[in-house]
Amino acid sequence: MDRRKFIKNSAVVAGTAAVATITDFPYFFVKKFAKAAAGDTIKVGILHSLSGTIAIIERSLHNAELLAIDEINAAGGVMGKMIEPVIEDTQSMVQVFADKAKKLILEDKVVAVLGCYTSASRQSVLPVFEQYNNVLLYPTLYEAQECSKNCFYTGCVPNQQLDDFVPWLIENVGPKFYMIGSNYIYPKETNREVKALLKAHGGIDVGEEYAPLGHTEFSTNINKIVAKKPDVVFSDLVGDSVIAFYKQFAGFGLTADDIIIATPITTEQETLAMGPENGIGHLTSFNYFQSVDTPENKKFVTAFKAKYGKNEVTNAVMEAAYFQTFMLAQALEKTQSTDADALIFEGLPGQEYQAPGGLVKIDEKNHHTWLWPKIGRANEEGQFDIIWERDDWVRPDPWVDLLYPNKDCDFTNPGVLERLKSDSKDRSGTLEKIS
Amino acid sequence: MESIITQFINGFSIVAILMLAAVGLAIIFGVAGVINMAHGEFIMVGAYTAAVVGQLGGNTFIAIPVAFIVLALLGLIVERGIIQWIYDRPLDTILATWGVGIILQVAIKLIFGAQHYYVGAPKILHGGFPTIGLLPFPWYRLFLIILAIVIMVITYLIMFKTDLGLKVRAVRRNRTMSGCLGIDTAKVDMMVFAFGSGLAGVAGAALAPIKSVSTTMGFPYAVDSFMVLVLGGVGSLWGVVAGSGLIGEAETILSFIYNNVIGKLLVFIFIVLAIRVFPKGLFGYQERT
Repeated sequence: MDRRKFIKNSAVVAGTAAVATITDFPYFFVKKFAKAAAGDTIKVGILHSLSGTIAIIERSLHNAELLAIDEINAAGGVMGKMIEPVIEDTQSMVQVFADKAKKLILEDKVVAVLGCYTSASRQSVLPVFEQYNNVLLYPTLYEAQECSKNCFYTGCVPNQQLDDFVPWLIENVGPKFYMIGSNYIYPKETNREVKALLKAHGGIDVGEEYAPLGHTEFSTNINKIVAKKPDVVFSDLVGDSVIAFYKQFAGFGLTADDIIIATPITTEQETLAMGPENGIGHLTSFNYFQSVDTPENKKFVTAFKAKYGKNEVTNAVMEAAYFQTFMLAQALEKTQSTDADALIFEGLPGQEYQAPGGLVKIDEKNHHTWLWPKIGRANEEGQFDIIWERDDWVRPDPWVDLLYPNKDCDFTNPGVLERLKSDSKDRSGTLEKIS
Repeated sequence: MESIITQFINGFSIVAILMLAAVGLAIIFGVAGVINMAHGEFIMVGAYTAAVVGQLGGNTFIAIPVAFIVLALLGLIVERGIIQWIYDRPLDTILATWGVGIILQVAIKLIFGAQHYYVGAPKILHGGFPTIGLLPFPWYRLFLIILAIVIMVITYLIMFKTDLGLKVRAVRRNRTMSGCLGIDTAKVDMMVFAFGSGLAGVAGAALAPIKSVSTTMGFPYAVDSFMVLVLGGVGSLWGVVAGSGLIGEAETILSFIYNNVIGKLLVFIFIVLAIRVFPKGLFGYQERT
């Protein structure tokens, strides 16, 4: 398709979609386009930054998704067709995400898109997916408090990382918590919930502190922490700060036997970069670690290393990127249709898959994913020994009950859908639980 | 009270880190008159040099001189390749060095990838010695304090006890007159740029074991270094000492009493007020024109 034709076509489709939204005209024009596009392959968009500041993380997700597509195609593809990945590089720039998402939907006519990493990028593409009625599968753990009909969230939400972790720490390590985080929304929201959990389970909040993003001098904070004598330092520091904090903590002669660092953020990548000797004994809560002992994970890790190199490490976000691709394939197989509404209302909700970290399921109501919380303790190789594992999967709750008792999404309830349509701008607004 | 004293002692290590980071920038700015926006990236390249030396089996003691040489050469290339043509256009040197910084970031990312690199402290500097505070004082931080003092002394000796230093000071005071008296000012600029860049490399290699090593690590150091210069006064070694000392201790104590964010905020306000009273910085000198 040449450039001019593309612009013309996009204009037509955009126009149709605009008419459709304004007059509530049926979507059949758009649907026809989608059907016409389905040729001999099924096109799936891969929307990640392969260049720029966060490329290294997003490339690992892109790799996990391509590995899954390889495996699906090797097993015969879906609906008798091969999956064809359409890869777009979003260059680590938020504004590029929306353009590339539009291109994938309108020009390539993909049935769904696997992509995004940061919350900012997800939020910038959601309006596009809602406007053109396409499907986004998003693999990152995030602060939740969001729902979209067109988005399926396969990473952890706070209740899955904290609800078991904090009470476990209070019982097994000690009640006194000192919270330290980077100064932005995710750590602040996370700590709000940690504090609520402390209150509910008899923990004591002895301090709470935020460092500017990118801060790497923690001697002062460490002195303060020691003066308060906590049992647990709950860290939601991110990026460069994580590594500097663990290194300096160990530099002051503190080990996990003195004060334990507990976190929902530090993965295998960080423990290797800080030097495993600086991370030994500290705890991380996640639904997946590379050390998970399941046949599915052995296969995943082996296949990943075989394809991308023996020094590669896998982590929870990569696992989500991997299994969400299989879920999409299963959903397409189930509905035998490339229609977005079929995927959104029949294919993906309730879809289950035996993932490397355990059996996972997409929640019918809120489009997030049921996962198995685990606690890992960093060992001398920089890997995590799983010291606790929940014997049941945990329902995702985008609005944690402790803080927002009556709030949730429900896409199975027609009343809610109507309201969604009417105020699709305000996704993060209030969708009261109707039951 | 005990904690505050601990904090005060701890502050020396932060002062040392600031001094190490700022001295290279101060020399280049003070003598050659170039605001080196790539200073943070020079520190970053120094840290990556330490990472490479570490992978090859060397430790920090080897990495520091290696980083000095690597960065001095890099500084030389930048000076000869770009800066020498635009000395008389200060605004363009800002843009040009900024560009150099971006190029370095991208180049390092291409070579090493964007993940964090691991640099450990030498075995001999693990652990710490007891102080009156609750925590032992890490040997590595003591090493940083000593290193900062050594670097300042060496720089002082070069500036005030050698022939080259005499020329540098002459050029700094009055470039035209120095030229007329037969000093090769272009050569002085070149040497100064290379020396200052080398010191940035030393800072990067020395800080890598307690900080994180990534392509974006340079920027905060550049900001801190500029603050030190603005407060202390441009082109004076005593300015670097005074600026680092005040900012380091103030930030440590204030961060301890309040928190990091407020600590930084108060220090910035203090710097703004200080510039109002001392426009040239605490140790700035009047230029003879």
